[in-house]
Amino acid sequence: MGRHRSNAEPAEHATPWSFLRTLRALRALFVVWLVVGPVRAGATVLLPADLGELSADARAIVRGRVVAVEARWIDDRRGIDTIVTLDVESYLKGALGSTLQFRVPGGELGRFRSIVVGAPEFAVDDRVLVFLGARGPSVPYVLGLSQGVFRIARAADNSGWVVTPPAVFPSAAAARIVRGDPSRRPMALADFEQRVRTLAGGGR
Amino acid sequence: MMSLSCLRRARKAAAFGVTLALTLAPAQPAFAYLKFGVRAGGRQVTLRWTQTPVRYVVSDASVASGVTVSDFQSAVGRAFATWQAVPTASISYQFGGLTGALPGQEDGSSTLGFRNRPEMDRVLASTSFVVDMATGALLESDIFFNSAFAWSVTPAGETGRFDLESIALHEIGHLSGLGHSALGETELREGGGRRVIASGTVMFPIAFTAGSIAGRTLQPDDIAGISDVYPESDFNATAGSLSGHVTSDAQPVFGAHVIAFNPNTLSMVAAFTLNTQGEFSIGGLSPGPYVVRVEPLDDADVESFFSAPETVDFDFKVAFVDRVIVVPRGGGSGSVDVKVVRK
Repeated sequence: MGRHRSNAEPAEHATPWSFLRTLRALRALFVVWLVVGPVRAGATVLLPADLGELSADARAIVRGRVVAVEARWIDDRRGIDTIVTLDVESYLKGALGSTLQFRVPGGELGRFRSIVVGAPEFAVDDRVLVFLGARGPSVPYVLGLSQGVFRIARAADNSGWVVTPPAVFPSAAAARIVRGDPSRRPMALADFEQRVRTLAGGGR
Repeated sequence: MMSLSCLRRARKAAAFGVTLALTLAPAQPAFAYLKFGVRAGGRQVTLRWTQTPVRYVVSDASVASGVTVSDFQSAVGRAFATWQAVPTASISYQFGGLTGALPGQEDGSSTLGFRNRPEMDRVLASTSFVVDMATGALLESDIFFNSAFAWSVTPAGETGRFDLESIALHEIGHLSGLGHSALGETELREGGGRRVIASGTVMFPIAFTAGSIAGRTLQPDDIAGISDVYPESDFNATAGSLSGHVTSDAQPVFGAHVIAFNPNTLSMVAAFTLNTQGEFSIGGLSPGPYVVRVEPLDDADVESFFSAPETVDFDFKVAFVDRVIVVPRGGGSGSVDVKVVRK
């Protein structure tokens, strides 16, 4: 079979109308099946959160740069987690000092590396915004495994800093989250932080 | 620096022939088309068990409210049986007894059990791996279920409790070498919160509402994945594949989600573009016609799929291949080129 062409826009000029109608019907069936089809399997690892829940639950919301990533033995040296040290640029909620440590499951120690599926990974010089939980005097942890981590990167046009991945903000009304929605884009860091501060109740 | 006790532990590990080093290639997607990609011995290999039955043990060191060790063993046994019953896959499992060890403790045994991990916020269960770095062989895989949550083992499920068998089915998919699948979608709830509204796979990484038992049934995407990793003898001669690459303005797109939808069977199987050429490959497909859709993974949770999320391209619109692609029996579709446009 040869190579096939595709496009985000229908290529009416290249394809018979009858086929296009059929294909459009199939596409519609495709979407309908996913939304209302009988198959509703799931129930997996994570409970999903929106940014409102993360903001409310967080003990601290902090922007900073990773300056150290150090794995350590836990569970009587039968498991590994990683302590991430952040040089704090700003707190959006709470305050835990100018240098902050939090932990993530898994990590690498010498010849050992432990991977926990779905856990975020950090490297020195990463610039991140993290939503942290804490229980008692223990080291804080990232809320929702990877859901509480937003990466800060240069915009594609180099116009400034943006936050990725596209965030899920709370909605007053029920609303499907549609992949490919043009509005779902990395958000300017300043705009993102303004919204998070509002969701967190004006914490600084 | 490793401590002496760590070194002693390293020697102990080596003594039973295990290289306790887990590796998933950094800066590479952690999950290569439903499968874990492992960088081992200088090459990329698929993470899979080389010997079956896969032996597992159940921890009796920790329990959750309302679930006895026997209940737990039965529920995970049913989940193992579901994977083992896939007719096109050759994998099998064997219960090896109870243990006082906890899951997550690297001891050469694949251990399933509860642990109380309240700091694992919003994490119902999780799987970890031990891999031989030299060969890529999967040596140990543990699954912990978070007893900070309420669990159910009843046949019909229980309101407000997560179905242990459903969650076990997902985690055993990981244990067997499958990564997450993105065949699912979520919605924002009125007044706050987010929930899953549909999924075409057990391996979707986000949970349905507590009480659901729908996750006890494998879907075509799961079956294609497990069959592709552990094919029965005639599977590759009867199934087909669909492959190609995704570009935008002639540049390859990394991390695009590519879905193959069979309008005859209403089945969906999906994969991602996973290299710098923007290439994808979807194996284990039933022969027949497919509609192909390409979409960005821009609805959060990208780190459930990719270990280097900054490399994933979100900036494009949904695209369809403008013809039906026919996947032949025992063969490939030919290269399917998909051009997407920026948002």
